[in-house]
Amino acid sequence: MLNARIRSRIFQVAAGIAAVSPLLVLLFVAGVLVMDAWPAFKFQGFSFFTGITWNMGNMYASNPIVHNGVEGAPGATFGILPFIVGTIGSSLIAMMIAVPISLLSAFALVYKIPPRYARWISSAVELLAGIPSVVFGLWGMVVLAPIVANQIGPWLTHFGKVLPFLAGPVGSGFGLLTSGIVLAVMVIPIITATSRDLIAQVPKLPIEGAQALGMTTFESIRHITFPMVRRGVIGAIILGWGRALGETMAVLMVSGNATNYLPTNLYSPISTMASTVAALLDGALTDFSKLSIHALALIAVTLLVITMITNLLARLLVQLGRRDVGTEA
Amino acid sequence: MNNFKKVSLMTISTLIGASALGASVSIVPAFAKSHVAHRSASVVKLQETGSTLLFPLFQLWVPAYKKVAPSVQITPSGTGSGTGIQQASDGTVQIGASDAYMSAAQLQTTPGILNIPLAISAQQVMYHIPGVSKKVHLKLTGNILAQIYTGKIRYWNDPQIAKLNKGVKLPHNAIVPIHRQDASGDTFLFTQFLTDTNANWSQTVQYGTSVSWPSVPGALGAQGNQGVVQTAVNTPNSVAYVGISWLDQGLQHGLGEAMLQNKAGKFLLPNNNTIKSAAGAMIGKTPKDERISLIYAPGKNSYPIINYEYAIVNQKQANPATANAVKKLLDWAISPSGGNKAVFMQKVHFLPLPASIQPLSKAQINKIHG
Amino acid sequence: MDTRADSGVSEVSIQTMPSYEMHSYRRKVKSIAVWSISFAALAFVMFIILDILLSVISKGVPGLSLKLFATQTSGIAGGLQNAILGTLMLIVISSLISAPLGVLAGIYISLFAPKRFGAVIRFISEVLAGIPSIVIGYFGYMVMVLQWGMGFSALAGGISLSIIILPYIVRTTDASFRQIPKSYLEGAIALGMTPFMATRTVLLKLATPGVLTGILLAVSIALGETAPLIYTAGWSNFDPNLQLIKNPVAYLTYVVWTYLNEPYNAAHQLAYTAALLLVAIVLVLHLLVRLLQRGSIKHA
Repeated sequence: MLNARIRSRIFQVAAGIAAVSPLLVLLFVAGVLVMDAWPAFKFQGFSFFTGITWNMGNMYASNPIVHNGVEGAPGATFGILPFIVGTIGSSLIAMMIAVPISLLSAFALVYKIPPRYARWISSAVELLAGIPSVVFGLWGMVVLAPIVANQIGPWLTHFGKVLPFLAGPVGSGFGLLTSGIVLAVMVIPIITATSRDLIAQVPKLPIEGAQALGMTTFESIRHITFPMVRRGVIGAIILGWGRALGETMAVLMVSGNATNYLPTNLYSPISTMASTVAALLDGALTDFSKLSIHALALIAVTLLVITMITNLLARLLVQLGRRDVGTEA
Repeated sequence: MNNFKKVSLMTISTLIGASALGASVSIVPAFAKSHVAHRSASVVKLQETGSTLLFPLFQLWVPAYKKVAPSVQITPSGTGSGTGIQQASDGTVQIGASDAYMSAAQLQTTPGILNIPLAISAQQVMYHIPGVSKKVHLKLTGNILAQIYTGKIRYWNDPQIAKLNKGVKLPHNAIVPIHRQDASGDTFLFTQFLTDTNANWSQTVQYGTSVSWPSVPGALGAQGNQGVVQTAVNTPNSVAYVGISWLDQGLQHGLGEAMLQNKAGKFLLPNNNTIKSAAGAMIGKTPKDERISLIYAPGKNSYPIINYEYAIVNQKQANPATANAVKKLLDWAISPSGGNKAVFMQKVHFLPLPASIQPLSKAQINKIHG
Repeated sequence: MDTRADSGVSEVSIQTMPSYEMHSYRRKVKSIAVWSISFAALAFVMFIILDILLSVISKGVPGLSLKLFATQTSGIAGGLQNAILGTLMLIVISSLISAPLGVLAGIYISLFAPKRFGAVIRFISEVLAGIPSIVIGYFGYMVMVLQWGMGFSALAGGISLSIIILPYIVRTTDASFRQIPKSYLEGAIALGMTPFMATRTVLLKLATPGVLTGILLAVSIALGETAPLIYTAGWSNFDPNLQLIKNPVAYLTYVVWTYLNEPYNAAHQLAYTAALLLVAIVLVLHLLVRLLQRGSIKHA
């Protein structure tokens, strides 16, 4: 018995240490990034977040400029508002598409599709997670962008009178909407797979009981299953959102990579923060003053902060929703 | 059996099972072969990384060089010129590749780095205008392109373009300028051309592997030359600059190829003759360290956008054996009977290094030591 | 019509009972409508999946040959043996690091941690999942490759991947364990079991499918990553060996990413075949896990 106690103790301590690992990793990564980003913030100040012009400066000039004690290439100025807008816009569109589709699919998979087929469909959905993002990007470029430009876009412009954001011109198909759809396809497997497992773990008894009492299948799910899995599902959604915010390669291929202007409608070309870091890292390496590298690190830090804020907001919403009802253990 | 062990066992055995499966499929046949191949004891491993324009050529060289020097194992990769320069100077790779020569300021921060031309490349301007026959080569100037990319010329039937292209029916459609989003030697060449031909551009945007593109509504950025071609194909009324190795791809997909005006005022397409004569005009001007722009060369028959493709090498290599291997490889690469052979050059539309430039590159190669 | 959408189980069955006597027809229609939309959603997802999978298969299959598995990459010709082995090596390294850590962490925050601590770790994991993979790659390059002197290596690549997949494993493990009613753990402890015994005998059995799906999902995500590896694992035309540092390794996503951006059709072919192989590896992993799962259920 004593032996078992000790083993249990060891297990708990080991698990506790493991539980701190995400925190340590994040602190370390964030620490390195913040240190790397600091000169850029010193150089640019808060206009970094509100400016719309991104210019790494003339790297072939040999007369560096000095601003606030930091040396940069002549002409250097860093404003990332378009990237912030593009990142939040495209990920929001992605979640608006992916969340309902994933949840409905997960419920259908657990309750309506015979297990024999459900297993195959689930595997197919999860296969999607293993496809390299470049392939999604290519699919978005070759298949999706023309469909958005010629079918989906023109159809959506009919609603332009109600929502001016939906009005044309539709453009080339490379932009906000296409990026959002590609991101949605990429996060659907994450949300679907996780929610399906959670739903499948809900005990069958109360559901059958409720149906015996006269609830329809939909009602029993809405009132019994959903409240039980809600927290887990929201976790999955936030995880998917994080992936949408941080995706690089696929977005790079379909977003149109707008530089120095803000999107005007749903079809405008955009740039996201993650894809900008990926695209410009190579060029920034040739900056003799190293300021461009610091600026890219500052983008990464900003993205980290944005991810934190969106997560906190999502949590707050959940908390508020819970208070309204006043139940849930 | 307890569940905890079961899960860990299951996970690990799945992974190992999968690895074993993959490995057994692939290792077994190779095993027999590797026994034969590993005779020579002193194997030298060389890593090359950088320019995605030079990468396809390096890939052609690898199998050929294996026959020349079997004990040298070369791994090329295409990551981008900036990465090539960075990693060659911090020593993580032996050879970097770049379409653009390093700036003087950058050389100061990384002393001992050589810029060695290996071949000559060029760039063309391509467009996708519905209704314009593929047989017609639109005539464009650097000045006009600069105005398109700054948004001053907005439509294809702009008087400036129409004046040069009498007889071509140009539509009143908004032009979509496409640029490279990733940092690129192609951007370096194109922006240098615009800098040389448009005063406003030379004051504002200037040149570099990555510039701050003026905001033109609807303007697109694309990833890599392949991405530029694909985006142009998808986007009617677009115009783009494309590395010459992708010329065939662009033409196959139905893009038009523009004739560009050179310094002498003539409109030319890039081909062996026009690239050669442009290179010829610049030979005498090439300095000892070979860092020079070949853009907008003088001469009636000179195509305006050509450049040296550079190997970026640290003079001081990790050890004499590596230094020797690097020297031998580069010597072979610039030799007309080695890497500069027509078989390789034609596939990527490059031109061999002119004979009179060879000694300059050779002198630089000789500086490499262990 | 129903404002009680989020109410708890017991309340629903008691308080809303009377209203269920009425509108029974409307409710049935609503239920059917919702299920139809669900089926449509599922069909839509399946359509896109099949479209992507089929395009990968149809473009990748023509490049399949025995030579692909038997030879190493050499220029644009040659096989993918080095990349297949390198990919498997990176996956094994990253799972060996992140699976034990992640599962233990998930168990801890779901069962034993103080409420606030659990919430913090959950939050941290989600933030970690949001870091763009290219940033992890650059971080790996600056810290591991240069500062720690690992060079381009399997270890640097594997660690970068484990940073990326750790939060997924933590969160899915955590969610699976939290799904189990608290009374199970309490009951087991009341019966005299230690927390460790209770976890591994009673709870783990129930949580296993979820945990495994999480690990699989994480490994699939790792398989599909390119950006973090370019700056940490490098690339090599030759097979990986047991030298874990200062020795670049090959991986399939590099082939997909780089070879698609080349002027040769042969290179494009190799890229598509590499993508197909990635999908095949994910498929094999899935089948193996499902097989083992079924086997263990029968024995239990």
